[in-house]
Parts: sequence; C-alpha cells; structure tokens
Amino acid sequence: MPVEKDTMIEAININKEYRRAGAIIRALADINLTIKSGEFVIVQGPTGCGKSTLLNVLSGLDFPDSGRIIFDGENIARSTEDRLSRIRRQKVGFVFQDFNLINTLTAMENVEAPLWPTVLRSKEVEDRAIAALRDVDMLHRKDHFPAQMSGGEKQRVALARAIVGKPRVIFGDELTGNLDPESETQIMELLKKINKDYETTVIVVTHRETVAKYGDKIIRMDKGTVIKGGN
Amino acid sequence: MALRLWRKAILMTMREKKIFVIFTLIYTSLMFLTSFFMHTTFNNQGSTLTTYFILIFFIVSLMLSLLYAWIIVARNRRTWATLKCIGYTNGNINTLVSGIILYTTLVGFFIVIEVLFHYAAVFTYLQSVGLLTDLPTILISLLPVVLTFLMFLFVQLIAIFLANRKILKVRPIIALKKPGE
Repeated sequence: MPVEKDTMIEAININKEYRRAGAIIRALADINLTIKSGEFVIVQGPTGCGKSTLLNVLSGLDFPDSGRIIFDGENIARSTEDRLSRIRRQKVGFVFQDFNLINTLTAMENVEAPLWPTVLRSKEVEDRAIAALRDVDMLHRKDHFPAQMSGGEKQRVALARAIVGKPRVIFGDELTGNLDPESETQIMELLKKINKDYETTVIVVTHRETVAKYGDKIIRMDKGTVIKGGN
Repeated sequence: MALRLWRKAILMTMREKKIFVIFTLIYTSLMFLTSFFMHTTFNNQGSTLTTYFILIFFIVSLMLSLLYAWIIVARNRRTWATLKCIGYTNGNINTLVSGIILYTTLVGFFIVIEVLFHYAAVFTYLQSVGLLTDLPTILISLLPVVLTFLMFLFVQLIAIFLANRKILKVRPIIALKKPGE
C-alpha cells in the first residue's frame, strides 16, 4: 500500500483583490488546494490568470485578503514579516525569472548569501555552497561574477542558491522565461533531480507548455480560479 | 552572525568602487576641513566665520550622509528585496546597510589621520632643513580630529536610522517584478 505523503502547503478559501485604475481585479477567487510534500507542481494558465499572485501568497511574499495558508503546519496568512523571513530562510528556496543574483558578488558568494545570517560556521557555509554549486555543475565558475555568465549559467547559480539552505519547498516564478530551449531543459531536469534526490517540494509557475511534462501535478488557472488540480 | 554580515558589507562596499571612492574622498575632505576649522577655533585664532564654517560642514556632511544612505537603499532595492525573499529579516539587511555606511566613514577618518601624519612629517622635515618655510601651517591636534569623527559618526547614525526606515518599506515581492516594472 503506498505511503500517504504529508501535506506541505494547504490553501483554504484564498481570496485576493487588486485595485487598478479604479477597477477591482479579483486575482484569486476562493482557491482551495493541497500540495503534498515532495510533489513537483506546475501552475499554468494564461497571462493575468492569477498564477503569480498564487505563488506570492503561497510563499508568504504577499498576504491574501481572506483565507488561510497552512505552510508545513503553520498558518502563514497573518504572520509578521520577520517570521515569514525566518520561514523562508529555513524552509523555502526561490528561483526568479530574472535570476536576481547580486552583481557585486561572485557565484560562490551569491550561493553562500542565504547562509550568512545563520549561526552556521564559515567553513560549513563554504562547504554547503560548494556542494550546491557541484549539484548544479557550476563549481568551475565559482569565482565568476554574474556579468561573466550566460543566462542558463546564472539560473543554475540561482538554483544552487535556492538549494543551499536545504529547503523543504522551492518556488520558481517563470524560471525558464528568459532561457533558450536547451537551457530550459537543463534547468528543469536539474530541478527534477533535486526534487527526486532531496524530496524537495517544487512549485513552478509558468506559461510554457514544454515545462508541464516535468510536473507530478498540474494546476491550471483561469480568471483567478483553479480550473484543474485544486481540491 | 552580525560580525559576518558586517564583513560581507565591507566586501560589498569595496566592490561598488565608484560610489565608495567618491563618498570616501568627500568625507575625507569634509573631515579634514572641519577638523582644521575646529582646531583654529580652539586655539582662539578663529573668528565667527570659522564657527559658521563648522556649522556649514556639519550640514553638508549631514546632507551627503543622507544622500549616501538613500543611494545605497534606492539603487539596491531589488537586491534588498531578493535578500528578503531568501530569508533575510529587516534586521539582517539593516546590519548590512549600517556596515556599508560606517565602513565608508571609518575609511574617510583613517585617510584624514594618515594625511595629517604625513603632512606633519613632511612639514617638520622641510622646516628642519630650512626649506619652504612659508608653507601654511596645517598641523591639527588630535582633539579636533576626534571631535570631528564623533560628529560624523552622529551624522551617520541619523543616516542609518533613515535608511532603516526605508528598508522596512522594501517589499520582498519587488524581487519578482521585472526590472523597471
């Protein structure tokens, strides 16, 4: 009998509205979904369907207007900013569409950065960063600055930065949006490997159909609602 | 932890060469001039004008410090937002920013001390060999230099306080937006 996986994230009756030019836009309307630990989830939908807003509220970057988000057993919908920062440090890794590497830091320093405000000793910080860079096959570029790397290489360093803290969940926002098809395949396969090797839950928001094949679960959204893959 | 963040703040400051060099040189000049006018006032050689100069330098240094803090926060908004996304608290980012601001001031102070030492040495040597005796005497005692440094430190604390207020307003969600959005 297969073992039931733990619930990693549960969204209950999530609503979120924006005001733009006097009009109210309902970005999320009564969203209910459950993401299990170790799942690879792809969130898809047309532009403006609310998928990025969903990622923001699930990761604690934004607050829903109503509803609850149970993240690893804790309701984060009303947590303080500092508490959310600590949750992100301990349990979350982020990969951005524009990589968001710090240009004045080398690849190694960028990967180490999430561990600087921790109590880990400098040697351990260094060892973990080296291991993370090795995982994404970028150790040979550890002393290079972001400006000296291609888009695919930057994204691999960003991926190393996301996994260096051994997170429970990795969030990716259109993470292959600025990459060529070859780099997209490399990044998605790396992410799949990380998902399998470390049982890390991965949630990727994308509009690209080519990315869908990597997911264990596909959530399709339209006009702020989940039309497939919700509860 | 804070010590490591300060070390990294120094690293980040040194890599932002242009801004660091410009502000260090401005601080050095201002500190030198403020100490000189303070020294002149203390030795009763000054007039009301020298006191005005000290006041003017204080205001200029305050404005420049605020400008520096604003540049650090505003130019790197995306960096601070990204750091918030990867788990930095407001306190952690404030430690980085205060490290950057204080390091620049400290470097400016050490350059002033260094320049004064060398000036004193060169001046004393030239005087002793009877050369360039008409060289202006700009030998500043330690007290005005230390007082100037404390004044600058006070100004930097105001700048750090305001930078911290600005950092609170940087939302992590900015990191997900496209540049310029």
